[in-house]
Amino acid sequence: MEKSLIVTQNNLEIFTSHSKWLYPLFELEDFLFTGKYSPENLSLTDKIAGKAAAFLIVRLGFKKVHIHLISEGAVSIFNRFQIDFTFDELVPKIQCKTEEIVIGNEPVDEVWQMLRRRAGRVAGLSVEIKDLVVEIDHKLIIDKLNLRVGKGEHVFIKGANGVGKTTLLKAILGLEKFSSGSIQVGDFLVGSKEWDKNRSVTGYVHQEMVKNNFPISAAEVVEIGLSGQQLNQTEIFHRIEIAMRRTGCFHLEKRSYHELSGGEKQRVNIARCLCQQAKVLLFDEPTSFLDNGAKDEMHELLTELWINEAPTAIIVSHDEHWMSKFKCQIHELRDGIIC
Amino acid sequence: MLELFSYGPVLRGFLVLLISGFTFPITGVYLLRMNLLPLRFMLMHGALLGGAIAMAFQFNPFWTTMLINLLLVWFMVKTARGLKADMGYISIFIMVAAVGLAFALISIFNVQAKDTMSLLWGSIFTIGTLQTVGFIVIALLIVGFHFLKYRQLKAVFFDPSVAFSSGVNERAIYTIVVLITALTVAVAMKLIGALLIDVVIILPAIISTLHAKSFKSVVIWSSLWGGFFAFAGFFVAYWLKIPTSSAIALIATVVFLVIYFRKKQKS
Repeated sequence: MEKSLIVTQNNLEIFTSHSKWLYPLFELEDFLFTGKYSPENLSLTDKIAGKAAAFLIVRLGFKKVHIHLISEGAVSIFNRFQIDFTFDELVPKIQCKTEEIVIGNEPVDEVWQMLRRRAGRVAGLSVEIKDLVVEIDHKLIIDKLNLRVGKGEHVFIKGANGVGKTTLLKAILGLEKFSSGSIQVGDFLVGSKEWDKNRSVTGYVHQEMVKNNFPISAAEVVEIGLSGQQLNQTEIFHRIEIAMRRTGCFHLEKRSYHELSGGEKQRVNIARCLCQQAKVLLFDEPTSFLDNGAKDEMHELLTELWINEAPTAIIVSHDEHWMSKFKCQIHELRDGIIC
Repeated sequence: MLELFSYGPVLRGFLVLLISGFTFPITGVYLLRMNLLPLRFMLMHGALLGGAIAMAFQFNPFWTTMLINLLLVWFMVKTARGLKADMGYISIFIMVAAVGLAFALISIFNVQAKDTMSLLWGSIFTIGTLQTVGFIVIALLIVGFHFLKYRQLKAVFFDPSVAFSSGVNERAIYTIVVLITALTVAVAMKLIGALLIDVVIILPAIISTLHAKSFKSVVIWSSLWGGFFAFAGFFVAYWLKIPTSSAIALIATVVFLVIYFRKKQKS
């Protein structure tokens, strides 16, 4: 079988792939994740490269590239990022859908995220809400609401206090019973027996304010993410450490949760969701009680999380200024429906 | 002094006190964290009702009290969930109803009120062999449940919504916690009496929350303090010739005050 991608170090093959489309590059990404090799010192030979492949090669950090069949769009991207490249044949464009979708002047991370979603390499699950009706004490809170959030997408929902933003999140979590309609998280219908066994696919980050100050350490909060899973102690410690390191709060592990700042608490809560390996993250007013510095930190952390983990996220907030920092869809919840 | 232990009831009482001292404060941690403090008032009055029923119908007061308290807790949980009402309010209603029923039974069956009231005092030296088994079973139940459901408990105590989303059956955990607490309160009354029950169950937990920083350390310290109070209380009671429950209460109070003021000084 013909190799579609070859990576060499000093003329010695260290990685090859026979896969098609962009998959060889994603496989290479996994291969390089170990950190054993530095892409700057490696040579990459790819069979075909359009704009999408060019973006991925740039993001991987390769400086020396040879392409058998290259598109003009890919050439311009390589030139833009000063990649030392050669090719055998130049064509105006590659016959592929992604060649049409990628423009060529977008930020690299944005294209990478989009391609990962198209390749199905995102951790997130889709959320589909159809004709949802929620009544609390005979009062209509949500009225035939429809919303679709794709795998790995991030959606903000704004709205005044009391319009039902938290109720919507609780309905997705399965905590709030709904009168009619349906909520589908990935393959699971919320409320079904299957979902009941798998409801840890949804992680919940509430407002910073926890209603009690009962002693609990930061690591213990993260460990809560594993409450529904049967794991041995070594695996538990391992998962806690990885999750806390990923959100930059491992140094807080022994500190009392209640003594942490608002921003630190949210880091710990996001680590809890990562530890849980949640595929859909629900944030309920995550910036309430946070100062501006902590809000910026939260923005940075979520952006990083969305690039690397790509979970699906639904964030309800009334902090429009903070929301506007993200390049995401912003919906408004008004009169029980999404406007 | 050690010759005391040659008497069966004394040795039995001491061992039961020690076992309870180490294990019952774990339920105190639950009571504190889940804000179930009104529950123990209901259970104390439930014990009074249990005592009245036992006296009226010639049943064993120890087991009757336990059964009545379990039934009351079951009724409370069911009613609170059905009405979506606060358990605290429901427990107050049940408490009043239990006392009313207890006094009605005392009156109708001409029960000596002082017999029923004796439940309010308790005694470690009147614990029978079967009751000792009961204590041991409940202590094992507390410890077993705590270790088996440790992470789930921690999740529910942190935030029930978060616990639910982590895959924990938070309603089941809550119900079991309330039932175990009911059993603990019921048997602890036999040991130390209704009026001083907080000394064995609540005070070690309160003291631990003053100095512990994690859930794990709160539980460990509660257990250690409880065990220490029971052990020291037994010997101090003998030495000062006062009831064991009083000795335990006094020692716990001193420790509480010392830790409280030390914490205040530090802050």
